[in-house]
Amino acid sequence: MKKFILKTVLYIVLILLIVEVIVRLFHLYTEDPPRFIDEYGVEKRVPGHKGYAVTGNRNQNYSRFSINEAGYNSHREFLPTADKFEVAIIGDSFIQGFHQDFDDSIGKKTEALLPNTEVYEYGYDGSDFASHLYLIQAYKEDFDLIDEIIIYFNYDVHLERGEYEPNYDRIKMLKSTPFKIRDNIKILAYGSKIGVLEPLKRMITGKAFEETKPKGYQTNEIEKEDDEAQKQIDLQRLANFKRAINLYGFDKNKTALMLDSRKTSKMLLNYLGESGITYIDYANDFKQSKKSTTLIYDWHWNNHGRSVIAKTIADYIEKKDKNN
Amino acid sequence: MLYWFVFKKNLKYQNLLVIIASYIFYGWWDWRFLFLIIFSTLLDFYVGQQIFKNLDEKKKAKYWLWLSVACNVGLLGFFKYYNFFIDSFVDMFSAFGYEMKSTWTLRIILPVGISFYTFQTMSYSFDIYYKKLKPTKDVVSFAAFVAFFPQLVAGPIERASNLLSQITNTRTFKYEQATSGLKLILWGFFKKLVIADSLAPIVDDIFANYGTYPASTLILGVVLFSFQVYGDFSGYTDIAIGTAKLFGIELMSNFKFPNFSRNVAEYWQRWHISLSTWFRHYLYIPMGGSRVSKLKSVRNIAVIFLVSGLWHGANWTFVFWGAIHALLYIPIFLMGRNRLYADNVIAENSWLPSIKEIGQVLLTFILVTFSRIFFRSPSISDAFNYINQITTNFAYEAYVHPMGYRMLDFYVLLGIFTLYEYLIRKDERSPFKFKYAAVRLFLYALVIISILLFYDDGVNRSFIYFQF
Repeated sequence: MKKFILKTVLYIVLILLIVEVIVRLFHLYTEDPPRFIDEYGVEKRVPGHKGYAVTGNRNQNYSRFSINEAGYNSHREFLPTADKFEVAIIGDSFIQGFHQDFDDSIGKKTEALLPNTEVYEYGYDGSDFASHLYLIQAYKEDFDLIDEIIIYFNYDVHLERGEYEPNYDRIKMLKSTPFKIRDNIKILAYGSKIGVLEPLKRMITGKAFEETKPKGYQTNEIEKEDDEAQKQIDLQRLANFKRAINLYGFDKNKTALMLDSRKTSKMLLNYLGESGITYIDYANDFKQSKKSTTLIYDWHWNNHGRSVIAKTIADYIEKKDKNN
Repeated sequence: MLYWFVFKKNLKYQNLLVIIASYIFYGWWDWRFLFLIIFSTLLDFYVGQQIFKNLDEKKKAKYWLWLSVACNVGLLGFFKYYNFFIDSFVDMFSAFGYEMKSTWTLRIILPVGISFYTFQTMSYSFDIYYKKLKPTKDVVSFAAFVAFFPQLVAGPIERASNLLSQITNTRTFKYEQATSGLKLILWGFFKKLVIADSLAPIVDDIFANYGTYPASTLILGVVLFSFQVYGDFSGYTDIAIGTAKLFGIELMSNFKFPNFSRNVAEYWQRWHISLSTWFRHYLYIPMGGSRVSKLKSVRNIAVIFLVSGLWHGANWTFVFWGAIHALLYIPIFLMGRNRLYADNVIAENSWLPSIKEIGQVLLTFILVTFSRIFFRSPSISDAFNYINQITTNFAYEAYVHPMGYRMLDFYVLLGIFTLYEYLIRKDERSPFKFKYAAVRLFLYALVIISILLFYDDGVNRSFIYFQF
């Protein structure tokens, strides 16, 4: 029995070592550049980090990222001036663009369509409408120099609050020893990414026997609430929207929201119309696309989806330029 | 630990621990059905003793045997087949023009594994009746035999003469047995998580939308189902046998690489062996087996396959599936080739199979796979429509995975799996039988990494045979 236990432990250790080598060799794990909160209270990535973001168990999507001096994934530095024409795209993981090589991003695609334009992508995963407006306010000097601001707006997830508060606890947690261990032992990083560690996590957090919602093959479609419940949600979101604008301001002359009207409430769309806030609706462009606009494995835009978005943005800028 | 360290000197406590673990395992799904297992256990424990007591009076012994059969088959009949027979009668009367309303059907939940443990308890009564076994006087051991959790819900269906004798005897920890158990568990997980679960979404998609797919996709669907059901069921069996080994118990083999069978008769010597031997011993031989006239033997074979089909589920699709196998088996039996490959495997004395063997294996695989259209389809009409769609929409179109995954990954996986199974084809209980420890270690790591590469938390992981 003693021999059995000792040899089993030895084999488990050796097997894990081999698996660790294979995971590193084939870069099955994904990298997540460290985060921090700067002196203005803006949550972003630590500048200078380069690496690879991987999606799926078998490297289904593999892309390079490069964090610039401003703390965002981009092929360029953000150096706005009064004489150049600059466009800022602010958003969450969709704009952060870890799902495609940083030098083939929405910004780069837009620049290709709009000569003499610099596009700055202020993308940070998990950010929302309040944090986007806060960013503009915090970096007022820079944004005053930028000519056009486009905020990527996802109605389902961006209006859960009306006021931004930097999440110091989360940053602290990510810097804690267990997370450092996870990031350095690549088999753990890989296991965590593909969800195989989920039962273990549930056991540690005492949720092992709680019912879980079957994950299934879900898209980012949100389940429909009943009419009354949905109305309450819409009202709350509208209130959060107004509160964020009141707190941080909104320059209607050069700022536009970029949204999918199919997934945005009529109530909010009406309010935008009434209050003169411009929005770029990419719903029709996506609907008309014959090719899929999202990735395998998750719902972020694929290369084609990004091209469609870049075209939509370029069309908007050109149209606005003509009208002026 | 409790089993080997704390209770190592007390067999009764070890068996009690097995019972508690087994009842918790089974009750986790639905505690109410524990009463069924307990009823079946107590009934056959008592009946076994009565049969033994009356062995000199054949009539009385037979009466007790029939009581066991009636109760166990009655339980099975009620929980599994009641609605099926009612609906079938209603449909039959409708076919003759008598419209009846099916008001007698009930909402019955099928207890998991009922087909397995009722057959196992019946084997105990049969073995005593046929004087192959003496009844045990230890109800704890008997309850542990009936409910032994590794094989409780999906087999192998153990014969009392094999399992009960191990449970009633003192067990000692053996290093080789425990390590071979762990290896089988690892291999079982590979077959279940990598082969079966990764193919499940593809098979589900093709069978659910067969009307929209061309022949190439439908053929792909049923071929992949062949691999899925094999990975699922044999994977479970390997995990069960491996787990039992950790408890010092040897369960019978249930699969011996059926995909390398050279005819359908060999296939049935390699697929779900515990069920086919059960039917052979307790139905086919008592009916006269092959020692009666050819005509009667053919009848016996047909009965076995039809009952075996019905055993799988209360649906005519399974009966049809059994009938197809009977039709495939009977000509082989009449030609006297049914035991031709009973004691050897493909390429028995060589590295590579002969051209003839490759042809035989491919033909058997095609025939068995074809029958699985009925096994997998929800109804007879769906199965025929599926076949009709293959013949009428005879076209090729590259299949796109429902989640968009690269299909090449799955083809490569199945190719490697088949080649590896071919390499280890001579010993189903030693999937990692290689001389050098370094090679074995590398293979273990490869299995683990494959599980991670094909792991998908969106897949429904229940075992196919749990529903039977």
